[in-house]
Amino acid sequence: MKHLKFLLAVWGANLQSVMEYRASFITQALAMMFNNFIYFVIWMIFFDRFKEVRGWGINDMYITYGVIASAFGLVAVFFGNSFVLGDVINNGRLDYYLSLPRPVLLHAVSSRMIASGVGDITYGFLSYAASGQFSWDGFLRFILAILLGAMVFAAFLILVNSLAFWTGIVSSLSNLMVNAIITFGIYPITLFDNYAKLILFTVVPAALMGALPADFVRAFTWQTLAQLLFGAMMFLGLAITVFRLGLKRYESGSAIQIEV
Amino acid sequence: MNFISKYWAIFRITLINNIAYPGEFIGRSLMIVPFMWIFYQLWKVTFAAAGTDTINSMTLYSTMWYLMMAETIELSRPQLAKTISDNVKDGSIAYILNKPYNFLLYQFSNSMGETIFRAVINAVFGSAVVWWLVGPPPEMLGWAFALLALLGTWAMNFCITCLIGLSAFLVEEVSPFMWIYQKFVFILGGFLIPLDFYPAWLQSIAKALPFAYMIYGPSKLFVAPSMELFVNIVSLQLVWTVVLGAILILAFRRGVAYLTVNGG
Repeated sequence: MKHLKFLLAVWGANLQSVMEYRASFITQALAMMFNNFIYFVIWMIFFDRFKEVRGWGINDMYITYGVIASAFGLVAVFFGNSFVLGDVINNGRLDYYLSLPRPVLLHAVSSRMIASGVGDITYGFLSYAASGQFSWDGFLRFILAILLGAMVFAAFLILVNSLAFWTGIVSSLSNLMVNAIITFGIYPITLFDNYAKLILFTVVPAALMGALPADFVRAFTWQTLAQLLFGAMMFLGLAITVFRLGLKRYESGSAIQIEV
Repeated sequence: MNFISKYWAIFRITLINNIAYPGEFIGRSLMIVPFMWIFYQLWKVTFAAAGTDTINSMTLYSTMWYLMMAETIELSRPQLAKTISDNVKDGSIAYILNKPYNFLLYQFSNSMGETIFRAVINAVFGSAVVWWLVGPPPEMLGWAFALLALLGTWAMNFCITCLIGLSAFLVEEVSPFMWIYQKFVFILGGFLIPLDFYPAWLQSIAKALPFAYMIYGPSKLFVAPSMELFVNIVSLQLVWTVVLGAILILAFRRGVAYLTVNGG
């Protein structure tokens, strides 16, 4: 409860910060929605020409794309610093968070809001509404699915960026991994053989962010819910553990840092 | 001669800077590997589902090599718009403008130094994966035509990204314009799906715009080289480069007139 109050205060401050440039905030959110739509047009062209890929059609794409867009947006809005946590570690900017009486990881990842994420979240909901499979119980599952997908994505970002404690600069690897999880996530899961699926549930958990949550939105099964919960908790636990292990190796750069 | 040598020097400095950090560069270029693998999965299944080896004159082999060239072009683009907009926003553009070189030619030389090295590394990794997946690359003529057409692609891309960067003279944030430009390249350039697979009406629209000559042109020349296609694509690249270049020069002159730099 204490952490939640703290988070709400941080998010409130972040919101005020991005709203300082209101026109820029609105432009970025709208442009991101348009950007997502244009990207989706490629799939519309593809499925218009080829109809389906191993039973996977355009309606499945609407849901999968919607889940991923909203999950990505949630992380960008509420834990925006998780994208650049490696730079924070590498540049010695953890000093600021270490000197305050709040959980270091939670504070570090939540102290930045990426305005365009609002466009991603909104687009995700619109994509689900346009899927032709909308129902009110499905809508509730959609909300749960994007929360769990966002948990996996945030955990994955923390995990990859925490490698900076050991290896130094990880920005290239981090970009590579973000691109990989998003790219693999939006492609039909039916394309992949069993070995590839194993990778997509473990090394690059794209299936836990896209295909599996989308399955859960389409139809409720206890098995899918259990898999999603297990995956999200596992990745979050692993991310926190690796971050804490890395933190023991952290060395301050003695630089004077100002967090704005 | 002195005119060319100073821009050549700028190009060389950027190139050497990039080579100085090969690990970082190679790490970034590895992105092409999963992309090519996933494309292979998609198109292998698609061709199998269609029950044919050839769709609109493209085979799985030519589609994969087309996509390798398209990915190489896209992944080699430097973040020129961001660099210029940062220069405009933080005022450091003043330090570039007062040097004895042309701002636009400086940016062009600088971005080419980055682009060429990236393109080579991406092409090496991309070719290795695609060769392993579908077999050896197309004939040498394809390489030669594609390389020449790449010059047009880079010139057109420079004009558009530079224009977007210079829009920072008027607007606070240029990233949204970059996202949208990138997505137009994705769709109308035939980046993720070759234009040959598009419906005829969309192909007509795409071919009336510059994006097709930035991605589809060189990639198609690579897998299906012919003199007729080469002349068609390169001449349209020239036309678009002249048009975009003229707009860029006008925008730059207007932008500099707006510029106010405070302090130093």
